[in-house]
Parts: sequence; C-alpha cells; structure tokens
Amino acid sequence: MSYTFRFEVVRDNLGFLLWGIKATLLVTAAALAVGLVLGLIVALGRMSRRASLRGAAIAYIELFRNTPALVQLIWVYYCLPILTGINMSAAVSCTLALAVNAAAYIAEIIRGGIQGVDRGQVEAARTLGMSYAQTMRKIVLPQAFRRMIPPFVNESVSLLKFSSLVSVLGVADLTYQAQVLSTTTFRPIEIFTFIAIVYFVICTAMSYAARLLEIRLAASD
Amino acid sequence: MTTVGPAAVAPSAMVRIEKLSKSFGSLPVLRDIDLEVKPGEVVVLIGASGSGKTTLLRCINCLEVPTRGRIWVDGEPMGDLAADGAFRPLPDAALNQRRAHIGMVFQRFNLFAHMTALQNVSLAPVMVKKLPRAEAEEVAARLLAKVGLSDKLHVYPSKLSGGQQQRVAIARALAMSPKLMLFDEATSALDPELVGEVLGTMKQLAEEGMTMIVVTHEMGFAREAGDRILFLHEGKILEEGTPEAIFTSPREERTRAFLSRVLHPTEPPRR
Repeated sequence: MSYTFRFEVVRDNLGFLLWGIKATLLVTAAALAVGLVLGLIVALGRMSRRASLRGAAIAYIELFRNTPALVQLIWVYYCLPILTGINMSAAVSCTLALAVNAAAYIAEIIRGGIQGVDRGQVEAARTLGMSYAQTMRKIVLPQAFRRMIPPFVNESVSLLKFSSLVSVLGVADLTYQAQVLSTTTFRPIEIFTFIAIVYFVICTAMSYAARLLEIRLAASD
Repeated sequence: MTTVGPAAVAPSAMVRIEKLSKSFGSLPVLRDIDLEVKPGEVVVLIGASGSGKTTLLRCINCLEVPTRGRIWVDGEPMGDLAADGAFRPLPDAALNQRRAHIGMVFQRFNLFAHMTALQNVSLAPVMVKKLPRAEAEEVAARLLAKVGLSDKLHVYPSKLSGGQQQRVAIARALAMSPKLMLFDEATSALDPELVGEVLGTMKQLAEEGMTMIVVTHEMGFAREAGDRILFLHEGKILEEGTPEAIFTSPREERTRAFLSRVLHPTEPPRR
C-alpha cells in the first residue's frame, strides 16, 4: 500500500468540521427533547385504559419501528409539505422526523420502566390514601426513572448515529461536512476516519456519563 | 336499640358487610358474605387457599372492587349500589379519604424500595394528612421505635430482613392513625424464625385495642389474639365462633378437616 496519510487536511479544515459537529449535536439534542415529550404522550396512550388510545399508540410505535429511518426522513421532507401545505427547512423536517422516530422507541422505554415497578408498592400507596397522581409522582416515576436510564442512553446514542442520515437531505451535519470536504480535498480516508473517531468519542462519553449517573443513583439501594 | 338520624346503619360497627359477592369474570370468589366487626375486635379469617379470605379483605378497602353488596367502615359507606344492584365504589377522592383510615399490611411487605424506613413511614402522613415533614418524621421515628426498629431509621428495605421489613410496613400503616387494620397473610412470606417478631407486634396492637381483620395460617396467633374466628369455604363463611369454640369443638365437618390438616399435618406442610 502506497497511500500517504495527510491528516493536515483535518487540521486545516477544523472550523468547517466543527460546524458539522455542532449541527449534529443540535439536531440530536432537539430530536431527543421533542422525542421525549412525544414518547411520554405515546407511552401514556399505550398504557391507557381506553382501547382506542392503546390501539393508536401501538399503531404509532409499530409504524415507526418497522420502517427505515431514512425512508421516514425523506417522507417527512418531501411528502409532508405536499399533504399539509406546511413548508419546513430541511433541518427542521429532519429533526422532526428523527424525533417522531425516537418517540416510538422512547415510548416503549417509558412503558417498560413504569410497568417494571412492583405493583405491590402501588397498592400499598393507594391503601395509605395516596391518590393515583401522588403514587405516580412519589413511588412509580422515581423508580421507573432509574430503570429507564440505560435504555434511554442507548436510544440517544443510536439517535446520534442516525442523525448522520440528515446529510442525505443536505443538512450540514458532521457527515455532510465531511462529504463536502472529501470532494473538495480528495482526502476521504483521512476525513471519514476523523469523523468516525468524533462519533465514537461522543457516543462513548454519553454511555460513560450514564454509567456514572446509574452508580450514583444506585447508591441508595 | 336507639339509632339516631340517617346513620341508621349500625353505628356501633367498625366494619359492616352486607350480601357481599365478588366474581373474577365468571368465577365466583365470594358469595353473599355478611359480616360485622365491632370496634376493638380482632377477627381472624381462616380457610384453605382459594376460599376467598384474601379477596374478602381486599374488598373492604376496595382494592378489589366487589361485584355486589355493601360495605361500611366506621359507619361510612365504601360505595353505593347502581340501579342494577352492582357495587359502585366511591369516586377516587372520597375513596382515598376512606382508605387513609384503613391500614393494610401485605404478605410481601410492599415497602417503597427507593426510600428509607423513615421515609416509608412518613410519606403518607405528609402527602395525605398534610402533616409538616418534621412532625411526620417524629411520628415515624416513634412508631419505628415501637416496632423495635429505632436503629434502622435510615436503612433501605433491601438491607432489612423480611421480619424487619414487615414491621416497617406495620409502622407505615399505623402512621396514618387507622381505625382499622387489615393483615393479609402478613407472616406467610417470612422465614420461620422471623414469624415471631411480626406476630408479637400484631399481638401488641391487638392488646392496645386496635380493630383488626387478620388473614393468617398461624393458628397459634388466631387462638391467642383472635376474638372471633371465621372459617371461609368456597367464598362463604361456613362457620364462626370464639377461638375456643372453633378450635375445640368445630361444628362443621369441613372446619374439622381443615383444622386437623393445619394443626396436625401428617406430612411436612407444603410451602
């Protein structure tokens, strides 16, 4: 192999790539935030006593879990404006698509966390005269929250990686910036090696932070 | 008997149950139960598993919603009758208020796993009775001392033995100053050597005049602490009487058979 690596290309264009990192983090964070709210709503629907709400929530979850994220992204970007007349920038529609996708997974994480809390504790709280809301707030959610951390971090990591798909629609995230830079500098190997490392470092750091949080919360057990 | 005003429903009874029935789907579990428990009385429910004792207990605080019948606790109805005679529990807010006066202790303790013993006991007084936290914790510490756990205030349930957990659970129920305590096989999940400490706490409570309804397999406790024993069979109260009467001269053949099984097991008891 006679290839000579020239990593200077990364150093010389660091600002350009940094812009991409910022965009990637922003899209991921926004999608997570929206996905969390949406996921909570879907989870409540999934656990509702009303069959119609349960059915709608299940349909939502299955739809987004069983179609490719890239197809969802493209569908939201191209089809949604035609159907609704609402025009959105590529960045907004991509964030929205990632959010509704993440919401399907987050809904199941929330449901798993809540239903994993021992029923007996709920009964005990109710026999003490605590209301449903008080029982949720003081007994169920604090314990469910702890169980949700590991799967929620997994979902965040996978969302960060999925966010690279937005480059397909021209959103200037890290992957998109890398593609642009590759075509202008003819140095795809160096550039894609670099961004792989960036993704790796961010994702690893997230998992590590989550583990620390888990250990801290588990200190009371 | 002089009854005053509309509260004509046996004001002297702590619990009054009329024609209570409960079915799970098409499976009848309780059939036409009538029962009256006087203040300060300790009533012990015995019977084979599946006889409906636990369900009866859980109907009293509407943890299980009865199918038909009526229930009063301390003169107050726990629900009303729909037009078709079905039992309709009180709306949630009213039901929560009633439940606050009815303590319950479970077979599997059901302590709040993310809270210390002190937090377990002081939570409901703060949330439901709106007691200031400091005051609630004072009460909790006193009650935990009463059940012999003054050195475990800040310990989490996972670090307590079964017997200790159950005593915390009793203290938790007592913290609401209940008028009535329900015990659902409170010692069945305990290792044999830990049963005594929980039964001791229950006996002490009985001696202090607490009204108690106790589902148990501990015949020794039934005999010593019970004022009245009810033998349930296939969802009905088949026989009732003083411990003396039930244990020495049961009238019903089924009662005799049950008692001889639990008192003189020919084979090691199955768990």
